[in-house]
Amino acid sequence: MITTDNLTKQYGETIVLNQLNLSIGANEIYCLLGANGAGKTTTINLLLGFIKPTSGSAFINGLCVSEDYIKTKQYLAYIPENLMLYPTLTAVENLKYFSGIGGKNLNKSQSEDFLNEAGLQKNAFNQRISTFSKGMRQKVGISIALAKDAKSLLLDEPTSGLDPKSSNEFGQLLHKLKDNGVSILMATHDLFRAKDTGTHIGIMKNGELRQEYATKDISLPELEQAYLEAMNYKELVS
Amino acid sequence: MIRNVFIKEITEFARDGRVKIAFSIVIVLLGIATWISSRQYNSTNQQYAVAKSAERSIWNNQGEKNPHSAAHYGTYAFKPKYPLSLIDQGVDKYAGTSIFLEAHNRNEAQFSLAADQTGLARFGDLTPDFILLFIIPLLIVLLGYNAFTKEREMRTLVLIRSLGIAPWKLILGKWTALFLPILVITIVLIVSAGIILSNLEDFGVFKWSNLGILFLVYICYYIVFVNLVLIISSKSKKSSISLVLSLAIWIIACLVVPKAASNFAEAKYPYPTRQEFSANILKDKQEGLDGHDPWNKQAKLLEQKVLKEYNVDSLHQLPFNFDAYRMQKGEEHDAEVYFKQYKYLKSQFEGQTNVYIGLAAFSPFLPARFLSMGVANTDYSTHWDFSDAAEDYRIKMQAFLNNDFAKNSSHGNWSYKAEETTWEKLPAFEYAPPQLAEILSKNSSNIIVLVTWLLGSFAFLFITIKI
Repeated sequence: MITTDNLTKQYGETIVLNQLNLSIGANEIYCLLGANGAGKTTTINLLLGFIKPTSGSAFINGLCVSEDYIKTKQYLAYIPENLMLYPTLTAVENLKYFSGIGGKNLNKSQSEDFLNEAGLQKNAFNQRISTFSKGMRQKVGISIALAKDAKSLLLDEPTSGLDPKSSNEFGQLLHKLKDNGVSILMATHDLFRAKDTGTHIGIMKNGELRQEYATKDISLPELEQAYLEAMNYKELVS
Repeated sequence: MIRNVFIKEITEFARDGRVKIAFSIVIVLLGIATWISSRQYNSTNQQYAVAKSAERSIWNNQGEKNPHSAAHYGTYAFKPKYPLSLIDQGVDKYAGTSIFLEAHNRNEAQFSLAADQTGLARFGDLTPDFILLFIIPLLIVLLGYNAFTKEREMRTLVLIRSLGIAPWKLILGKWTALFLPILVITIVLIVSAGIILSNLEDFGVFKWSNLGILFLVYICYYIVFVNLVLIISSKSKKSSISLVLSLAIWIIACLVVPKAASNFAEAKYPYPTRQEFSANILKDKQEGLDGHDPWNKQAKLLEQKVLKEYNVDSLHQLPFNFDAYRMQKGEEHDAEVYFKQYKYLKSQFEGQTNVYIGLAAFSPFLPARFLSMGVANTDYSTHWDFSDAAEDYRIKMQAFLNNDFAKNSSHGNWSYKAEETTWEKLPAFEYAPPQLAEILSKNSSNIIVLVTWLLGSFAFLFITIKI
């Protein structure tokens, strides 16, 4: 369960996130759409506790992030836009390391199972990350999240730079996680992926959540129209 | 979690070519330095054994001779190389190895190794203590400067933070991984030195306990460096900045502060020049009794006092040779003069030592260096101790010879010759260096400073680091 309660972040006079209220339950994928600077990454950073809110609160599994910084991480997995791993370590070694510091020690066979589940080719398991493409690195990141067995997943532009096939595989994997009861918040620019993957969509602008939809209630053209209107791209709307 | 961080760091080290090269260079240098030091140790001690035995034989076989001639003929007190000089040669190279013991004069130690070398010796020697005190801290800098900055630069720190590891666990994992290779190198050196020393003839009785203390001193020193490097890495934004700052700390701690301390100590507590020192001794000697000059004012006073004490009118009536008695009194006066002048030198030395201890607040190198030399019996304090023991022996030797002369001849009888067997009755000079407890007690200030560095750097590392 991912919740925010009037979550606000302000730098000096600039409000980068204004009274955000979100509630993402189990079996839900909430896609945050918005242009650069809309407040998507700030929301994720606040949920991770990397930055402190000016006012309001963020909750993971009912625990306040500001108050239980370390404990909330037990229920949380995170995949950043550019997932960076250790180039001199293999995929298995990276997975074992990150899972270990997340509190779950894996053996080689378990690690390989998670990498397999994340869709990484078997011949890449014991290759050094320095030889991996971005898509392959993202898959290792997913395997870290899978291994953590977290109840909440935060994704910051996870499909940016991925080829369509990898992006599609990634979407399928998210569905699988959702079906297993995971709450997922995904920040993205990709309307198509949001419509295809999400259960809910929120459109943000200037730090505010302008509109919310259930994906089953809106078609892709309608979503595109709503997004462009929200962004105030009048010439494109016409 | 700590174990995971440790394994990851060690794996990265093992796969990093730069680390492998640096590590190999240090191991090879240590091997060469230990080999050179061991050869030097063996060679010096063989020379010591031969010289000591030969000198004693020469002394014993002087034949019939006037004791005062024997006193001027003199003998040598030799200083052996002590076992742990294999690791830390300290000031041995500059301090001299033998003191000529003769009548009337306290001589300085001579025949230092440095005196036998050319100006090129200024480049320094490749010794284990050079590797231990200078190169290994540099290795710590090279291994650890990017411990945190690389995580920041590669952006792996973001993922680490998202996984909820407590900062102290991450630090401890990295700390252990950085410290372990250093610990291994140090253990290899110390154990190798212990095995070599256990199988060599030594003249200071090798003790594993002393070697163990030396090991602890170096380990504390390295821990301080590990902590400093990790603190800098955690506070720096870029690896390049961290490297420059860590190197600056190394340069300040190992090069600048010791040299500045030397200049500052010398300026604050200057030693007299050799000329001044000799002039002061001569002046003090002239104000007292000259054992060789019967017309000296003090000699005349002594003569009157002795005549009165023995209630006789002439020196010839005394039951001993007054010339020898006067010379002994002259020796006692000379010994007092030397004691006074050397006491002043020692007070200057102590003043300088205190300056070093004060400046150790800016460098963990200083207390580690002093403790290492102290435990290895190669510091200046041990040299003073040897010099004092030699002087003590010289005083007793002169008393032995003058008493023999006084007891076995009458006043004016300079033709007296002691028997051939007389000389071997004088016990040979034997010197035992200060024991470990005494060394540690003398170096308590250095221990306190090093432990303060250790605890302070630990506290700073674990309290201030945020990831």
